Order: sequence, then C-alpha cells, then structure tokens
Amino acid sequence: MANTNTKFLVVDDFSTMRRIVRNLLKELGYTNVDEAEDGVAALSKLKGGGFEFVVSDWNMPNMDGLTLLQNIRADAELSKLPVLMVTAEAKKENIIAAAQAGANGYVVKPFTAATLDEKLSKIFEKLEKAGA
Amino acid sequence: MTSEATPQQAVNAESALGLSSSDEILNRVGHVTRTLHDSLSGLGLDKILEQVAQDIPDARDRLAYVARMTEQAAERVLNATDVAIPLQEELAAGATALQQRWQDVMREPSLKSEYNLAANETLTYLTMAGKNTAETKALLMDIMMAQDFQDLTGQVIKKITGLAQELEQQLVQLLIDFSPAIPKKDTEATKADAADNSSLLNGPQIDPDAVDVVASQEQVDDLLDSLGF
Repeated sequence: MANTNTKFLVVDDFSTMRRIVRNLLKELGYTNVDEAEDGVAALSKLKGGGFEFVVSDWNMPNMDGLTLLQNIRADAELSKLPVLMVTAEAKKENIIAAAQAGANGYVVKPFTAATLDEKLSKIFEKLEKAGA
Repeated sequence: MTSEATPQQAVNAESALGLSSSDEILNRVGHVTRTLHDSLSGLGLDKILEQVAQDIPDARDRLAYVARMTEQAAERVLNATDVAIPLQEELAAGATALQQRWQDVMREPSLKSEYNLAANETLTYLTMAGKNTAETKALLMDIMMAQDFQDLTGQVIKKITGLAQELEQQLVQLLIDFSPAIPKKDTEATKADAADNSSLLNGPQIDPDAVDVVASQEQVDDLLDSLGF
C-alpha cells in the first residue's frame, strides 16, 4: 500500500459524488484529500502544487475530465501525475480516448469500494515498478 | 434627421448609410413570420405550439424537483453514516479492550479488587453498547427513510417521459407538415456530424446492451488490457 499521506484531488461537479469518493478514500486510509468542482478549478489547484494523485469525473461544466487530463499531460510540472478516471461514460470510444490521453486507470460508475481500492493499488504498484 | 427633412430625403439618407437592405430583410422576415403564423393557425398547430411553450417550463420544474429530492436524500444518508461509523468504532474498540482485560484477569489468580475493576468496566461497556446500538438503529432507519425520494422522483420522471414523448410527436408532425424535401444523403451526413460532436459526453448508459457500450468494470478492464494498458 502506498503512503497514506498521499495528497489526492477529487474532481467531480456533484458534491455528493465528491463526498462519496472522499469517504471511500478515507476508508482506504487516505485522509489527505482535497476537492474541485470542475476541470478549471482542478487545474488551478494542481498548479498550486503538492498533489500526488487525481481522481476525476469526465462530464463536467467549464472543463471536462478528458480536457483536464490532456492539460495535465501537456504541463511540464504535472505531466507525471497519476490520473484515475471515475465516470458514468461507458462507451468503448470513451475508454480508448482516455487511454490514449494517458489516463492511469478507468472506473465506470456506479462502482464499489473494492473496485476503487483495486484500481488505486494497481496504479501505485505500476508507479513503484516504474520508479524502481 | 432634421425637422425639415421629407420622408423621401430620409430614405435617401438611410440608403446612403446602407440601411435600406436591412429594412428589406426585416420586411421579408415579418412577411414570412405572418405567413407561417397564418398557416399554423389554419392547421390548428398554434395551439400545439402554445402547449409546447407551457410544457417545457413545466418539465424543467419537475426535473429541478427530481434533482433537489435526490440531493436531499444523498445528504441525509451521508450525514447518518458520518454519525454511525464513529459509534460502531467505539463499540469495536471497547470490545477489544475488555477482551484483553478479562484475558489478563483469568490468566493468573487475581485479587477480588481486580475482578471488581474488570466487572465494572464490563458494565460501563454494556451501557455504552446499549446506547450506541440504539442510536445506530435510529440512523439506519433514517437511511432507509431517506430512500423515499425514489417513489416521488420515479413518478415525476414517468410524467416527464410521457410529456417528452408527446412533445416529440407534435414536433415531428410539425416537421412532416412543413419541412421541404431534403435529399436523404444530407440528413444522414448531418446525423453523423451530430453524433461525432456528442459521442464522448453521453452520461450514464441506460441500456447496457447498446452497441459499443461496456456493461461492467470487467469489460472496461478487458478493453484496456487488449490495448496493452
């Protein structure tokens, strides 16, 4: 398991979903969590620095999750940041587009705590291997 | 324009400023609107349009109601779990501590005072357990009751679905009555364009059997695996 002090940013336009993801992360031991309500707010918080993981919705006003992901990958400071997409978008072309844009994982809503745990562990494992 | 200018001079002045062509457009739009209005009235379609104008705000209000009710229910459930989880944690921690205490007392011959201390701690724990379980049960009831939105919003959604169907039929009828003949090829191209633009923002998939849609997390994982992800 990764460092429980890992700083997360949860991006979703619905406060209920942000609260659910935050509670699930807390249950998994991650208590250092901040929230943003869309891609624009998220990017501004990320540029402030200190974040180590992004969990993002896709369909949001102002800037959607795919555009946020593309912006993160294009930014020299943020490009290595792991991004897990958690979204109701369930078309194959969505998943392919997210993978091509450099998403580290894709969870389709509605999801379970176990699924989130599994995807996070998998991403941390891969990151450790890449770093080793 | 000065007070001495005749109407003719005014027209010439406007003409010089290039305004007469926009007047002409306004005239013609006005004429087309009047013709359309008369035609619609003749067919009784003006009543339908009036109905549409009333129905759309109605549908919007109903949807706002659904959003409000579901948000309230979600808040209520999350608030209850926020309170209930620490109550359960307190029960679990107390049980573990008491178990350890009794194991220590039983392991070797103990003084009566040690037994009394353990017994008193047990009584305190049982009082706390009774209080916490009663509070948790009340919270679970509240979580259950918060689901009552489903009944209410379900009914509202059914009404909106009916309304949408009615509107669609009326608008299709309007199109059939008034649209000029469009070559089939063009409509298909337009459809394809529209599909391209909106294809990545569809929201929750209501029909898991639809083409090119994943029905489960397993299928997402399989697709990503096949991409070497």
